Amino acid sequence: MSLILFALIVPLLVTFILPLFKPRIATILSTISFLVPAGTALCALLTAQREEELLMNLPAPIGDFYLLYDPISHALGFTISLVSAMVALYSLPYMKHRFEEIDAGLGEFRKYWFLYNLYAVSMLWLVYSGNLLLLYIFLEISLLASFMLIYLYGYGNRQWVGILYFVWTHIAGVLALTGFLIIAFENQTLALNEIRAIGFLPWLLIFIGMVVKLPGLGPHIWLPWAHAEAPTPVSALLSPLTVGLAGYILLRIYLIDSSFISQFRDIIIAYAIVSSIYAGLSVFRQRDYKRLLAYSTVSQMGYVLIALCLGTYGLMGLVIQYMSHAFGKAILFMTAGALITAFHGLRSLDKMKGMHEFVPTISNAALIGFMTLSGIITIGMLAEFLILIGLTQVYGFNLAVISLVVLVFVITGLYSFYTMREIYYGTPMGYEKPKFSRLLDLPLYAIAFFSIAFLFPPLAPALLDGIKLALGGVLP
Amino acid sequence: MIELLLLAIFISPVIGSLPVAFAWLLDPKRSWARKLPIFAVLGLFISLLCTLYILFNFGELDERVYRQVKFEWLPGFNISFTFIFDYLSRIMGVLTALIAFLIGVYGLEYMKHDYRLGWYWFFFNLFTASMLLVVYSDNLLLLLIGWEGLGLASWALIGHWFRDDDEMSFVGVVGRKIGKLNYFWSPSFGAWRAISTIRLGDMPMFFAIAVIFFLAGNLNISEINWGELSEKVGSVGIFLILFAFLLGPFTKSAQLPFSEWLMTAMTGPTTVSALLHSATMVAAGTYVFMRLSWYMEPWNIHSAGIEAIYVLVLFLGLISALYGASVALGCLERKVLLAASTMSSLGLMFATASASLWVGKFAIIVAFWYLVTHAFAKATLFLVAGHLIHETHNRFCVGGKELAKHLKLAFIATILATLCLSGIPPLTAYWVKSAMDGVMHHLEHEFGLIPLALLVLTSAIYSAFLAKFLSLNFLKGEYHVKAHGGGRLMSLGYTAMVSLLPLILLLYLYHPDFHEFVAEGFLNSSLAVGGIVLFTYLIALYKPSLESPVGRALGDRLYLAFLNDYIIPALGWTLAKLVDYSNRAIDFFCHRAIPSAFGLLSIGIRRIQSGSVELYLRLSAAVLVALVAIAVALGVIG
Repeated sequence: MSLILFALIVPLLVTFILPLFKPRIATILSTISFLVPAGTALCALLTAQREEELLMNLPAPIGDFYLLYDPISHALGFTISLVSAMVALYSLPYMKHRFEEIDAGLGEFRKYWFLYNLYAVSMLWLVYSGNLLLLYIFLEISLLASFMLIYLYGYGNRQWVGILYFVWTHIAGVLALTGFLIIAFENQTLALNEIRAIGFLPWLLIFIGMVVKLPGLGPHIWLPWAHAEAPTPVSALLSPLTVGLAGYILLRIYLIDSSFISQFRDIIIAYAIVSSIYAGLSVFRQRDYKRLLAYSTVSQMGYVLIALCLGTYGLMGLVIQYMSHAFGKAILFMTAGALITAFHGLRSLDKMKGMHEFVPTISNAALIGFMTLSGIITIGMLAEFLILIGLTQVYGFNLAVISLVVLVFVITGLYSFYTMREIYYGTPMGYEKPKFSRLLDLPLYAIAFFSIAFLFPPLAPALLDGIKLALGGVLP
Repeated sequence: MIELLLLAIFISPVIGSLPVAFAWLLDPKRSWARKLPIFAVLGLFISLLCTLYILFNFGELDERVYRQVKFEWLPGFNISFTFIFDYLSRIMGVLTALIAFLIGVYGLEYMKHDYRLGWYWFFFNLFTASMLLVVYSDNLLLLLIGWEGLGLASWALIGHWFRDDDEMSFVGVVGRKIGKLNYFWSPSFGAWRAISTIRLGDMPMFFAIAVIFFLAGNLNISEINWGELSEKVGSVGIFLILFAFLLGPFTKSAQLPFSEWLMTAMTGPTTVSALLHSATMVAAGTYVFMRLSWYMEPWNIHSAGIEAIYVLVLFLGLISALYGASVALGCLERKVLLAASTMSSLGLMFATASASLWVGKFAIIVAFWYLVTHAFAKATLFLVAGHLIHETHNRFCVGGKELAKHLKLAFIATILATLCLSGIPPLTAYWVKSAMDGVMHHLEHEFGLIPLALLVLTSAIYSAFLAKFLSLNFLKGEYHVKAHGGGRLMSLGYTAMVSLLPLILLLYLYHPDFHEFVAEGFLNSSLAVGGIVLFTYLIALYKPSLESPVGRALGDRLYLAFLNDYIIPALGWTLAKLVDYSNRAIDFFCHRAIPSAFGLLSIGIRRIQSGSVELYLRLSAAVLVALVAIAVALGVIG
């Protein structure tokens, strides 16, 4: 058994023993259980480890269940475990507050920790899965766990929102599963390393399914509901980690057979650009902090889809975009949650002005979050850089595409600082300076640290060279 | 050794500012926290020492010699932390660090009672460090990090007084409206205007850098083979690349039509304005253009695309210069007047540097030395303006001889700075301006006398508003506010700053490198221009204000604010509204209409399930009849 497998099993085991502990100890356990894979994945990333580890042999048409270790998986695995660990810390004060609001006792934490860990760990396993069926299983587990969390602890009409989320992601799941099954019957296997070809129909089904999940323009309508009404720690996993996994699945499929994307590249990139600009413009009209962030997620996922169309550089951009969005959005959702906790459910932008006055640490964290999204001296800069190189490689001097993609980036910067001004700047409203747990702001800075550190050596070259290697190393 | 030196340059300002930043975050009320900024200034001082070391110990200061230092960054991509020490960067580094340090000393007193010292010092020092990074980096991606740092820090500092509660920090007359538009700007709005304009230029610039990387496989300005690149992509291609690239410098250096943000950047503390306008941020744009031209050597490349770009820069610069000068002439606010004048100077720098296509490297050197001269003079004027605002509690140009007597040093510094900057013979800027005249004169073949005429006109207006600034603040303005004492450190700041101008004058006159400047200065034509400039200076000094509708329109910056605050936002908001309606429609369709349709269907089906046999029989009969009818229609039966 390799070290990575051991590190992956730790949080899985911890999931089942967490309900036995008191909230405080459970928090620490959960955090540590995610820090273990985070550290392991980071080491593996730095050493560019590539390996496959067989779990079990299964007959055709399922094929082998194996774990896939390559820098792409490590990069995503690191992101998922880091964010999950930090959000776990943050959960303690936040959920305490939430349970008070919905008149539940602290015993509720037992359920919460189980579901939270199950949710996060299933995403972690997903990115290491080397078999589409295995991957689908983890996709469904993460969906169920997050559905339960929304259903039990969400805001507003939470049952309705929970079911809405469930139905939409199930549409995505069923479409993808159908695609996977066709692949299985055509190739007699679902192991990623043995699938030879993916026909048009399965590609289309998986693509549409993932566009629903990502989401693109049209299906995007479920996301603001789910992400805004989920309890904030769940939002801070849903938005940064879960939706982006659709991009990851598309990337894996692309690496096996890129025919679909190359055939419909122009249509897909047009859709992605429109989707991103559309969602970016939507951000300006939102008056609820969490809804605003949710629309920004839709816009950022447009980047992912754009990157998918831009050749090898684009794919590198996709992976880094996933990370940068995860870091930035996790920070931002946690700032929204901190405001909710500190000011008793404050979410409306109309009641926020000059919040920097009252919560400077949260405001500064939000600034770093928005810097990450708009690519200012953070890992986001690398993502934008790679996407732009890919754009040149694939589209040359096609002025329309260039200016639209540049416009996408500009809009992101604009809504970021527009939001900063709306919420944190301006004449402060008559609030008192609140006292809140340090766990509501320190974890944000831990993520912020990595967001900046990934721009510089030794992390940046390890990451870029590693992904390059995983993609076949065809770059200059 | 060199690693440590470089690290010290960039890191020491930031490290120095950390004590006050953290102390403030933890507890801003402690009195000892107010003493910590001294470390921030110390950090700036260390930076200054290192840049001085680089200036004097890296071999001869020659236009053709440069030295590169590389550290690994992204080896798989041939991208490294590449620093360059050449004629431009060695001088510019010292200029930046020196001005930042002097302003830092001044700021110790100016910001003494501020409510947000941690934020201020952190971003002030980050601003300096970012600029130094832009100055010394040869790699475009590394430069972009500094570039984005500048944008971020300027946003943070312009909006430093984020509470928007102090009339003194606004720009424009508070409460004034033109049409529907509020014609005054709060700090948070000023910050937003700055960052939103800058993003508009940074992203195309980023794209250009990606293209250059893809095509040239290298991002070091001095190593890229620009001639080959321009051949590879053709005239249109190189035009597009350079145009996209220069959108960054254009927005940062506030050339038309991106100038509005610079005017409202005055909502920040005066120290920030002084730094922003002399050695960082806005200078970064022109500096990057100079650096690019320096190594691209457009005079050696024959490409219609490059020529088109340089013509564009030339005229954009000249027109922006004229616009800026005219606006400054109509302005009544101390800092806004100076801001507009900076825009004008930047235009001149761009125009002169772009003339290098026809004149060669000399034009860049002229533009660069104008930047240096301008930086010290403008920083002095801003620091004086800050002291005046402090003393009079008024943002507008007011003050009489009493004030001059009260603030003798400020008075003298203003006289010296205005005289030296306007180009009156035989003071500092005269020699640079003369060389500039010479450069523009060289363009006669291409564009006739238009560039020269624009330059002379701009210079004449320029000196007039400088004299107006002097006169309204110290001689003929209305002044009825009692000044209070203090301000030693502040006086020290601008006195030191202005005393550098005579030094530069000596450099021009006696250093052999500048013999061309001096030669140009002794030409009759240059003397004539000097005479015109002196003449407008004296007129404005004698009659500093003149009520006229033209002047008022100029003071309102020819209503360019409408573009920034009305037309573009209106467009954006309309789109956002449309998008919002569409979101509601989709939401209604997916989450109300479809579920209700299913609901209705289910009600219908439930109604059928009533248990009545008669109903079932009737339905079965109806279905049967329908099936038969369809079958007959399709021709299955019969």
